[in-house]
Amino acid sequence: MFKSTYFKAALLSSILLFISCDKDDAPEAENEMEVFTKAIIKVTNLSDDSSETYDFEVEEHDHDHDHGVLVQNQEGDDHGDHTEIELESGSEYKFEISFLNESDPNNVIDMTDEVIEEKDEHHVFYELAGDGISYATMSGDTLDSDGNALNLVTKWTTTTETVVEVEAYLIHQPTSKVGTTRDDFGGATDVEIEFEAHVEAE
Amino acid sequence: MILVEQQMSKLNLKRTLKLNKFYFNSLFKSILFPTVIIYFITVGFVFPQDCKLDFEGYIISSDSGLPLEAAVVEVIGTNYNAISSENGYFNFKNLCSEIIEIRVSHINCPDFYAEINLKESRKKKFFLDHEITTLNEVVLIDEKVDDLSTSAKSYLVSEIEKDRYSGSGLSALLETVSGVNTLSTGSNIAKPVIHGMFGSRVGIIYNGIMLENQQWGQDHAPNVDLNAFENVKLVKGASVLKYSGKNPGGVIILKSSIPRKIDSLYGKTILNVNSNGAGGSIVSTWVKTYENGTYLKTQGTFKKSGDLSAPRYILSNTGMNENNLSFTYGKNNIGNSLKIFFSYFNSEIGVLKSSHIGNIKDLLRAIEDDEPDVANEFSYNINYPKQSNEHFTSSVDYTHIINDNKELTFKYSWQINNRKEYDLRIGDFKNIPSLDLNLSTHSVNSSYTWSNFSNEFTNGIFFGVKDNYSTPGTGVKRLIPDYLNTNLGGYFISTLNLNEDLNFGFGLRYEHSSSDVYKYYRNSRWENESYQDRLGEFVIDEVLSQKLIRKKVVFNTFSSNTGFVKEFEKKYSLSIQHNYTERAPNIAEMFSGGLHHSLASIEYGDPFLKKEKTHKVLVDFEKKNSKLNYRINPYLSYSKDYILAQPAGFEQTIRGAFPVWEYSPITSIFKGVDFDIIYKIKDNVRLKNSISWVEAKDYHTDEHLVNIPPLVINNEVQFSLGEFKKFNAIIGNKFVNKQNLFPNNNSITTVIENGKKIDKIVDISTPPNGFNQLSLNFNWGPYKINSSIVNFSLSIDNVMNRAYRSYLNRLRFYSDEVGRNFLFQIKIKH
Repeated sequence: MFKSTYFKAALLSSILLFISCDKDDAPEAENEMEVFTKAIIKVTNLSDDSSETYDFEVEEHDHDHDHGVLVQNQEGDDHGDHTEIELESGSEYKFEISFLNESDPNNVIDMTDEVIEEKDEHHVFYELAGDGISYATMSGDTLDSDGNALNLVTKWTTTTETVVEVEAYLIHQPTSKVGTTRDDFGGATDVEIEFEAHVEAE
Repeated sequence: MILVEQQMSKLNLKRTLKLNKFYFNSLFKSILFPTVIIYFITVGFVFPQDCKLDFEGYIISSDSGLPLEAAVVEVIGTNYNAISSENGYFNFKNLCSEIIEIRVSHINCPDFYAEINLKESRKKKFFLDHEITTLNEVVLIDEKVDDLSTSAKSYLVSEIEKDRYSGSGLSALLETVSGVNTLSTGSNIAKPVIHGMFGSRVGIIYNGIMLENQQWGQDHAPNVDLNAFENVKLVKGASVLKYSGKNPGGVIILKSSIPRKIDSLYGKTILNVNSNGAGGSIVSTWVKTYENGTYLKTQGTFKKSGDLSAPRYILSNTGMNENNLSFTYGKNNIGNSLKIFFSYFNSEIGVLKSSHIGNIKDLLRAIEDDEPDVANEFSYNINYPKQSNEHFTSSVDYTHIINDNKELTFKYSWQINNRKEYDLRIGDFKNIPSLDLNLSTHSVNSSYTWSNFSNEFTNGIFFGVKDNYSTPGTGVKRLIPDYLNTNLGGYFISTLNLNEDLNFGFGLRYEHSSSDVYKYYRNSRWENESYQDRLGEFVIDEVLSQKLIRKKVVFNTFSSNTGFVKEFEKKYSLSIQHNYTERAPNIAEMFSGGLHHSLASIEYGDPFLKKEKTHKVLVDFEKKNSKLNYRINPYLSYSKDYILAQPAGFEQTIRGAFPVWEYSPITSIFKGVDFDIIYKIKDNVRLKNSISWVEAKDYHTDEHLVNIPPLVINNEVQFSLGEFKKFNAIIGNKFVNKQNLFPNNNSITTVIENGKKIDKIVDISTPPNGFNQLSLNFNWGPYKINSSIVNFSLSIDNVMNRAYRSYLNRLRFYSDEVGRNFLFQIKIKH
């Protein structure tokens, strides 16, 4: 009695083994749909309306396979050459920042629209390491429902010759839209790019 | 209470047979019991004339629901006494019509008193609680009620302890055992760590089914409701080869008990109310049994909690809901038994709002800030980020008893798991989960057990299919690729009672596992890792800068357990075990690829991992059955190709920088010791202390491993008061040392501070300071209200409302642990 049951179980198992080893359907590819892959800053000189566009696209891998290194001595965001934005002293410029998702080249998504749509949940902040340049929102910028400007369009004013390193952040769900350092805004960083603003004499 | 049992000499089969064979009991009743009664009746008592009433009943352990044998039942102030039979039965004849006071005493229990107004002949059940004398106690008895077939020691968590944690979950319950810690993700997601190991290295088995979602990563808690099971058992440091061979950490076994063959309806309801989170839970279980062996059991758990609070702030978005249901139908016949089990588990868990960050600089800010970014007003709402989990199980068990010492079992089980993770997203994907994982598992196993007077042997075969599938359209690359796994194997387990004091156990398990994996690699990753040479032949498709490979991953694994238990002078026992474990890497370890938002890190699998091979030696020495009882349990484990996530550089995108962690093989060495001591100062006062310590290193580089529990010391004073001992209290203090042995996984990032760019260390490595946590627990009862038995308890956790952080909480960078909590509990046995 026991043997027959036992063999039945074994037989059933082996049949199952042979019929179900393969997964039949290949899964469809998944695209990163809400990812920012590119930031563009269009800089317009307000005195002569001349403009230049700077693209920011970063995709770098710095893989270190020597495990056990005490401190990963890599400077997270100092890779590659910095983008330099050339400005003249004593001038005013319009900075327009926009964002794209180009992960599917056949379906480029303008993420700036999504940022504007969710204006209450987003904010752009430029953090400047140095003096001689200031920026503020200007006409054409988007205001959120509390009247805070998103800084998508800003006016930059230069005074003297200088080189200032700038970090630009798109912040998702900031805890505050007012502040002077990145710390003041909280939230999660959606985009972080950096450039050097070179202010030269006219 | 934790019962340490020895399952070496497992003769439970015979016990099962006894239970099944009702005639045995009736034989006992008809011959032996009247003898006892006649004896007591004839001990010179003069019966008044109007005293013709009968009083009979059963003594039942409220812990296990099983009958208590050899309990002494006395009618106070008379010479009437009786001893309960094997099925707990006692009986008095010729009592007078008056109010009598009954005392029930048993060697393992406190005296139990009851007043009975005897107007007519009555029948009554007495539930004897082990609660008061054996609170949290490591009771050192030979329990042979198990079928684990291993000579490894196991711990049985008592019903009382289990009920105490009915609202807080499995991991919190098990943490009360030395050598067990909790790895958590925030306040609501926790998984058990045994001897410093967790995840796939710790098995969770419920009703004989291996829980199949443990390989879904560290931030996934086991989807199982402990309230659905009467027995919670823990085997530290060994696999239970009957169920699985890949758990060098240990195994947690949840099991329902088999109801007795009587006509009865009984149940239990527990109501928990928590001050912290303004939440609570209701757990209710009902069992209907019939004399013909049929039974029905239904159980439900409903839990809801709002935002929890740390001492200084509210932990926004840490609410949770959980709804569980289970249903069992069983039939116990003399020669066979059948059990059909269904369970459904559903939870929705909020994840601390502040822990959703963008990149490594956000992480740095969180580490430097003392308080979380977001602390909103208290709310029951669960917003994003959150997890929602569903787990469905059905199983059929059939046991056929061929004769007194041969048994055949057959089991089929089907599990469906779904886990969705919702992040803070933008645009059209706002309400779409970024992770939507499905795992469906079928498994069949069959075992054959035979035994003679002192030895027992089991062998079995098993077969299973697992289908892991990610619902597409999430807009995020799959964390775990789609795969289909087939496994097949067999095992042999023997336990030999060489003599009364010496038991020997041996087990062997073989498993063949084959996975058919479909994995998309991004071209950048593909090139970076030079996968073309080794994986190029498996490419079946190329789309959108991704390559799809299809690869069959095959592993053959052997595991074995060998050990003995020797008893000395009925007081000491020594057990030495050697366990060899081969664990096939799980699919996540080989093929995962994705971003962990809370750690701002990217995790990658290694498709070339080999199986992990662990040798573990455990020694267990214990002194028992005396005023001062203790046990000491040192262990050492050595693993080749131990799989560990390690830092491996950076990825830089326009979203910022992300540290990369990759699973990679190391040679690891774990050593540790668990120590428990119980000192009974008086009958009603006892001290309890337990210490667990473990150290884990990379054998070659000598570097310590990450997330290893620090030294933990638990102290408790337990005492009971009151005429009828209906009050008892526990004062507990848990000391957790700072973990001083940790690897340096820090990274450096550049930030602007005071108008200058400076480099800063992102210190994710340094463990938080140690802490002391005081807790109080007061229990009142049992009280009899109508036909129910009611207990009340009040527990206070983190009495001093201390702010502290735990090294084993993955969200420790964001907030303190939860603050003071008052838990009020009512337990009703119907």
